[in-house]
Amino acid sequence: MQQSVLIRNNVNVIGKGNQVMLFAHGFGCDQNAWQFIIDGFTADYKVVLFDYTGSGKSDIGQYDSNKYSKLDGYAQDVLEICEALALTNVIFVGHSVSCMIGLLAANQKPEYFSKLVFVGPSARYLNEGDYFGGFEKADLENLFDFMDSNYLGWSSKMAPAIMGNPDRPALGGFLTESFCSTDPKVARDFARVTFFSDNRADLSKLKIKSLTLQCADDIIAPNSVGEFVYQHTPGNEIVFLEATGHCPHISEPEETIRAIKTFIT
Amino acid sequence: MSYPDESMSGKNHLLETLINSDELYHTAPCGYFSLSTKGEIIKINHTLLHWLGFSEQELLGTKFAALLPKGGQMHFEMFFLPMVKVDGGVKELSYELLKKDGNSLSTLLNANTILDKNGYIKAVNVVVVDVTERKNYERELLNAKSLAENEQKRLEFMADLAPEMIWTASSTGRINYVNARFCQYFNCTKNETRSSFILSKIHQLDIKKLLTSWYACQTGGSDLNETIRLVNQEGNYEWHQIKASLFVDNHGEQINWFGSCTNVEEHISQLKKKDEFINIASHELKTPLTSLKAILQLMQRMKGETSERMLSLIEKANHNISRVTEMVEDLLNTSQMNDGQLRLSKSNFNVVEMIGSCVHHIRVEDHYKIITEGDKSISVYADESRIEQVVTNFITNAMKYAPESYLIKINIENVEGFVRITVSDEGPGIPAEKTPHLFDRYYQINTTGGKYSGLGLGLFICAEIVKQHGGEIGVESTVGSGSSFWFTLPL
Repeated sequence: MQQSVLIRNNVNVIGKGNQVMLFAHGFGCDQNAWQFIIDGFTADYKVVLFDYTGSGKSDIGQYDSNKYSKLDGYAQDVLEICEALALTNVIFVGHSVSCMIGLLAANQKPEYFSKLVFVGPSARYLNEGDYFGGFEKADLENLFDFMDSNYLGWSSKMAPAIMGNPDRPALGGFLTESFCSTDPKVARDFARVTFFSDNRADLSKLKIKSLTLQCADDIIAPNSVGEFVYQHTPGNEIVFLEATGHCPHISEPEETIRAIKTFIT
Repeated sequence: MSYPDESMSGKNHLLETLINSDELYHTAPCGYFSLSTKGEIIKINHTLLHWLGFSEQELLGTKFAALLPKGGQMHFEMFFLPMVKVDGGVKELSYELLKKDGNSLSTLLNANTILDKNGYIKAVNVVVVDVTERKNYERELLNAKSLAENEQKRLEFMADLAPEMIWTASSTGRINYVNARFCQYFNCTKNETRSSFILSKIHQLDIKKLLTSWYACQTGGSDLNETIRLVNQEGNYEWHQIKASLFVDNHGEQINWFGSCTNVEEHISQLKKKDEFINIASHELKTPLTSLKAILQLMQRMKGETSERMLSLIEKANHNISRVTEMVEDLLNTSQMNDGQLRLSKSNFNVVEMIGSCVHHIRVEDHYKIITEGDKSISVYADESRIEQVVTNFITNAMKYAPESYLIKINIENVEGFVRITVSDEGPGIPAEKTPHLFDRYYQINTTGGKYSGLGLGLFICAEIVKQHGGEIGVESTVGSGSSFWFTLPL
């Protein structure tokens, strides 16, 4: 069981130190997204990296579309990794959708965690009534189209379609060489689970201290969305970064490292 | 090596125009643009401006994301930018760019990064290829694909409705499609078609036979036709006829087996019954013939004698002859019925009178009492001798199978436009599970005991005669208290 979870989620443990930091990547990519900031922590922390089942170099064979039809399924991955490595007192750092995955995991097993860091969180992406999530359903359908046409672009979609041989590995996922090499079907499911999720009611249940890192000019998780998380999560702090976009850990690693360190030390 | 001056200068001129980097950049048959680390357009070529319908001033300094619909902006933020930064570039990302006139341009984007001396990204260079035509083809091909898929679904739907099991297999024999009927029979899913699963359903004694002829068909290219036993959900083996043809493509390559599998259990069991019947019939015919042979041998030794004993031998010989004749008669009747050749010669006759003549012929042994009751005035239009045959059969059966019952009642009644004639005995009765088969061909109520002789064709012939007349035939029986065989004829 333990070993199989570690293989399933391509778990990597690096760094010196006893305090554990568990980094959870966001939708679309894999643990490589953290490469620009982990050097800032490995000297003092035990850094645990992993890929969600279906992403990166995880074991796609273990992808269970039923389990992962909810963010809870992904939260289960997080808890199973903690159990497999017998981790406690974990500082969880999640990007994008992983913020809510971490929140769900911490609500279920608060004893595993000591602090949560949310990088670009959103409790709900879709607008609803007075709530501004940033997106209408049509925007998301448009995103799914973009994803489909890239995962299943000319070469990978058409060649098997014409030759009637979708199993041929050489013609596999379009982005296989990239770090965003999620399986197309998984990516489509994960996108829907991510962007149609609503975790607003889960925020108030958190019993662990948490930090929201809010980027400037983030179209995925705009300021008001980050502030909503901050206001509705007990024990949450918010830091507004100068970094723009949705991936401060990639675009402004130093600033991101500083903000996380201030919170966890 | 030397060149004439003139052509040399011409070449230089041509080369100069080719490598005039500025001109090449702006008029290249693809779009170029460069982004700052904040995603702003800092340089863009004329080709791309022309494609998009914007002027340079309108785009310089603006965010590239503004040229994308909102879903595209999300994709750019979540995929394009992280990939550029982590992987150092992107290859052939498919993006729809918004033109100034509101239409979109289908493009593929390739990007790489310019780094400073510390390895930080200074700018991102992007090449844009117009793939509008390609996208159109792609759409057409996808339409064609979905048409083909629909067609396949339609065929599978039809195959599912077929009463036979239908399957296809690769040329190497791996089953790759089965219809709904197959799944119903074996209680499995459509994916459960591993060779081991299929083989586990075939009777041990038939596996080798099937595999041998399959292999022979594959090497010889002939059709497969084998009858084997398959185990059903209840664990019973039933005979099935497996037929398959090998589809060979234009190049002579073996592509696929197309096969059916028909349940022939009923047919096979009929054949088996027929074999059993022939076996019984041969024995039945042999018995009187053996007696006859013995009698004739005796008579030969006694020739010239006219003793009492001789007369008794002649009587016995006659009896045996008439038994053989009866049986041959039955066999002829049966085969006539099989061919639909039973001809009725109908006339009007009084039912009671007809019964009277039957009883008269039968009443040889005195201890039976045969009573005829009911409506004695009823006349029918039917084949009198055939109906007499039915009544005689009922009465002789009663004597044969209920020998202890001395009272045989015959009842005639008018039931809703039909005359119903019932022959009842007070014998042991017939168990309920046996009554449905009594009128089947080759059925004998007790073939194992050997207590009763005969071909077992009597009731089958009766049923056929009654059916030909448009009537019904049946039996009511209670174990311990007797049986009532009845038939009806339309009035």
